[in-house]
Amino acid sequence: MKNVTAEKKYMPEMPQKEVEELNTSIKDASEKIIADNISRMKKTDPNRPAGMQYFDEISNFFGKRQKEIQEQKAKGKKVIGYFCVFAPVELILAADAIPVRVNSGWYDTSKIGDRIVPVEVCPVIRSTIGAKMIGLSPYLELSDTVISTLTCDGMTKLSEILSDSTPVWTMTPPRVKDSPQSLQLWKEEIKTVKTQIEKLTGNKITAKKLKEAIETMQRASKAFRRLQELRKGNTVIMGRDAMLVNQAALWDDIKRWTQKTEDLCDELELRIKQKAWACPPDTPRVIVTGTPMFWPDNWKLPTLIEEATPQGVLVGDEMCSSDRLLYDPVGIDEWTMDDMINGIAERYLMASTCPCFTSKDGNEDRVNWLINKVKENKAQGVIYYVVRGCILYAMEYTRVKKALDKLGIPVYYLDTEYTREDVGQMKTRVEAFLEMLTARVDI
Amino acid sequence: MASTAGIDMGIQTVKVVILKDGVVAARAKASSGFEPAKAAEQAFAEALKAAKLTKEAVAQVLATGSGMDIAPYASGNVSMMGADAKAGVFLFPSARTIVDVGAEEARAVKCDERGIMQDFVVNERCAAGAGTFIEAMARALEVKLEDMGPLSLKAERASPINASCVIFGESDVVSLIHRQESKPEIARAVFDAMADRISSMVHRLGINPDVVVVGGVAKDVGFVDSLKRKLGINILVPEYPEYAGALGAALTASSRVKGA
Amino acid sequence: MYESLAGALLGATAALGLALAGILGILIWKKDRTRKLSYLRFFIQVVSLVGIFYSFTLALWLSGFFLVIFAVTFFSGRFFCGWVCPFGFYMDVVALVRQKLGARYFSLPERVNGALNKLRYIIAAVILVSPLFLGGLTITQASGIQALFLRGPYRPIDIMLSPLEPLIVPFTGSIASLGFNSWSFSYPYARDILTYISIPNVTLVLIYVFIALTLVSTFMFRRFWCRFCPTGISIAAANRFKALKWMPLLHISKVEEKCTKCGICKRVCPVQVTDVYEQKGGDVKTSICLNCMRCVEMCPYEGCLKMNVADKTVFKTRNWLEPSNSE
Repeated sequence: MKNVTAEKKYMPEMPQKEVEELNTSIKDASEKIIADNISRMKKTDPNRPAGMQYFDEISNFFGKRQKEIQEQKAKGKKVIGYFCVFAPVELILAADAIPVRVNSGWYDTSKIGDRIVPVEVCPVIRSTIGAKMIGLSPYLELSDTVISTLTCDGMTKLSEILSDSTPVWTMTPPRVKDSPQSLQLWKEEIKTVKTQIEKLTGNKITAKKLKEAIETMQRASKAFRRLQELRKGNTVIMGRDAMLVNQAALWDDIKRWTQKTEDLCDELELRIKQKAWACPPDTPRVIVTGTPMFWPDNWKLPTLIEEATPQGVLVGDEMCSSDRLLYDPVGIDEWTMDDMINGIAERYLMASTCPCFTSKDGNEDRVNWLINKVKENKAQGVIYYVVRGCILYAMEYTRVKKALDKLGIPVYYLDTEYTREDVGQMKTRVEAFLEMLTARVDI
Repeated sequence: MASTAGIDMGIQTVKVVILKDGVVAARAKASSGFEPAKAAEQAFAEALKAAKLTKEAVAQVLATGSGMDIAPYASGNVSMMGADAKAGVFLFPSARTIVDVGAEEARAVKCDERGIMQDFVVNERCAAGAGTFIEAMARALEVKLEDMGPLSLKAERASPINASCVIFGESDVVSLIHRQESKPEIARAVFDAMADRISSMVHRLGINPDVVVVGGVAKDVGFVDSLKRKLGINILVPEYPEYAGALGAALTASSRVKGA
Repeated sequence: MYESLAGALLGATAALGLALAGILGILIWKKDRTRKLSYLRFFIQVVSLVGIFYSFTLALWLSGFFLVIFAVTFFSGRFFCGWVCPFGFYMDVVALVRQKLGARYFSLPERVNGALNKLRYIIAAVILVSPLFLGGLTITQASGIQALFLRGPYRPIDIMLSPLEPLIVPFTGSIASLGFNSWSFSYPYARDILTYISIPNVTLVLIYVFIALTLVSTFMFRRFWCRFCPTGISIAAANRFKALKWMPLLHISKVEEKCTKCGICKRVCPVQVTDVYEQKGGDVKTSICLNCMRCVEMCPYEGCLKMNVADKTVFKTRNWLEPSNSE
């Protein structure tokens, strides 16, 4: 699956005119949606932190960042796209390439993806396929190759489908985290990817460069965690804003992102001192857990929560597209090449709370992290969010519910699709849930 | 005690309940049609007349139901689940699980002794667990909607309907007719199919007795009978089950007036 | 006599003062949270080595040391092994050299590691009961150091003290004479080999082979000797009996919810303890742990791992997300 094959196995022949029309119309719609989301976020918090302005700007897929990456590509840099949080970003940075996460958050492209895969398939996958078919995603189009980690069935077949149009490197994480062979297998995958990156970029990944890359990401983790710390008390930043900051790390230049996030955190600390809360302190505090949500279209649920009557606030989440993203750093003992590769392999495998694993203790890593988050962020309720077709997350619901029931935290299972049609239905459920949380507090 | 009112803006029918001195003073309903707000005004006026109150005498009005945002006179909203919980406990103090089967949606709410909801579940995306299913099946059987219930009680057994979708259910029924299954049996099968869906929804929530069933469909004896059998426990049905939503909204209005 | 005692006391106080100053200095100067405690430990190891050498010169009854070490494990488990033992120090220095060379280390398969740990008790038992079988053995080597150790049939028990051997000892009778003041070069277990395997021309070679083996093995597997060292028996291993559950007082405690099973604690442990990783919260009391506290230093989740004395926390994981070099 290394080279783009001449005969397409999956991708259909689409007339150029149709591709262009769809691309233009969805791109225009998308830019409007991005602007709309931001204006709605501004409306919910009229006193939004000034530091958010940078993130608003960088959130436009078709703007500044696209230009930057194009310019760097022209100078010879390689762009490596990736899907899950299993891809070793440190290695990409060490080889002086640009990492960018290319999961698709466009609703409209999922209907295009429906042409070649059934509707029962995860909408994120269908949306990504559709985006590829019409060349919508700037970052996916700019990628010289895509790292696809075969975590779920959808990803497994997505790799094949995408290989029709772009080089795809697969990485196979083991399904059991803690057997001795698992780490061995995963280390081999990491080493293979390292060689592939070196070959693509023509740069050797030396111990020195890898150390710098790991330290860059550690600093990013530090800024990331700092932002999360500041959300533990009364709300100084609305959940959607914080989520946007988190997501920006997926495609932005990580060093600049770190700096801007630290600046934002400075501003938030000042607000905490001034007690300038973004919403009343008695607003029901909600945590969302489940399938990752991607900008721009899939902001549906957080928007409903924070614009509902009664208003709720998203104080944190357990999603690999947001609060889980950079939480775990790579811990290095000796800074030798071997130790660094070990550290990277372990961080990406062992610290993962993805439900794609099976374990005797029932993904206790995820449950523990969620419980810790609920306690530390003083959440009053959890919304368990699943997209239809995501079997892994859907099946773990019972496990999570049981654990949260013990704590007396209400959990609500909400499943939806990549569509705007069910906003009305979702609104009633979300509002009922928030009403329930308010009533519990009033007791 | 202040008088309050609740308006349930249902998809098919608008219902109004007025509470005076802690008891139900009036009930009124009107078909939603194309102008549900007008229908609500009409029903509200009717209820006021029956309760012998002026509009000004009503301290607070709250709306519920899928059309709650366009309800006239209402100063705020209550979720359908919250309203059901309040109404259930008011009607039967021992109620802890309230099942609301409406025209197009069914939901179940768990509550405590004060009518404060603890958990809820909604039937997902499928009308085969709601009133329209009965309407469609009545059409296929060429039976009047209000006759379906009594007809089904005459059946000795039920011929199963396998379809998971209302659309296919209709053709299922037609094929049963061609097989010369008797109408009572088919009618009972329709209610059993519905009760199946409702009961699995309630099981997802967890059953806490006593169970109360409200909503328009609860008037149908055939459905209540099937649900009793599927859940395996006794269920309580109030006298005017379709007004539960509006009642709950009025009760919530009362508690808010008190609280304020 | 009182002058010499006073002098010794003064010297001891001055030494203690310097040591404390050094400790404070390290804690302030070294900002890197992933290494601060390790620097401190290194310093304490150096101080211990100097202290042990000094005590060799004082003609104290050195065998008593073993009783002290053994008793202290009641309270602190194998703290001695991690912070005081000179042999451990030499092994840590070798590990440092290896790191500077950029070479990797290896890990023993878990079963082998576990088996070696059990072997430790067997070796220790053999040594401790050996006097019963060597009743008539008399050591013909006559030198002033006799007074420092156990005599007669109890002599073999001194093997347990061998890891304390400084590389230079203030008496003759070791590997090679230093050439002045009757001091000689030495190495842990060297004098035991000389004493018990007395074959002319072969013994010295054996000693050199032993030195090479221990150095090479610890180059490859960190703290290799510690995994089966007989001195490292800890009474705290008796905490499997309910009455002694509180042993050792100094132990690791883990908060289950904060653990993400990232595995860093397992990776950095020099003796491959897996209990900290595997155990679900609560007190982690393993008889292998050297209390080097690397796991607590490196765990990236605030408050997840703690070093507790009984119930009081003396050291816990901090958010160390600051790279080793300042920007």
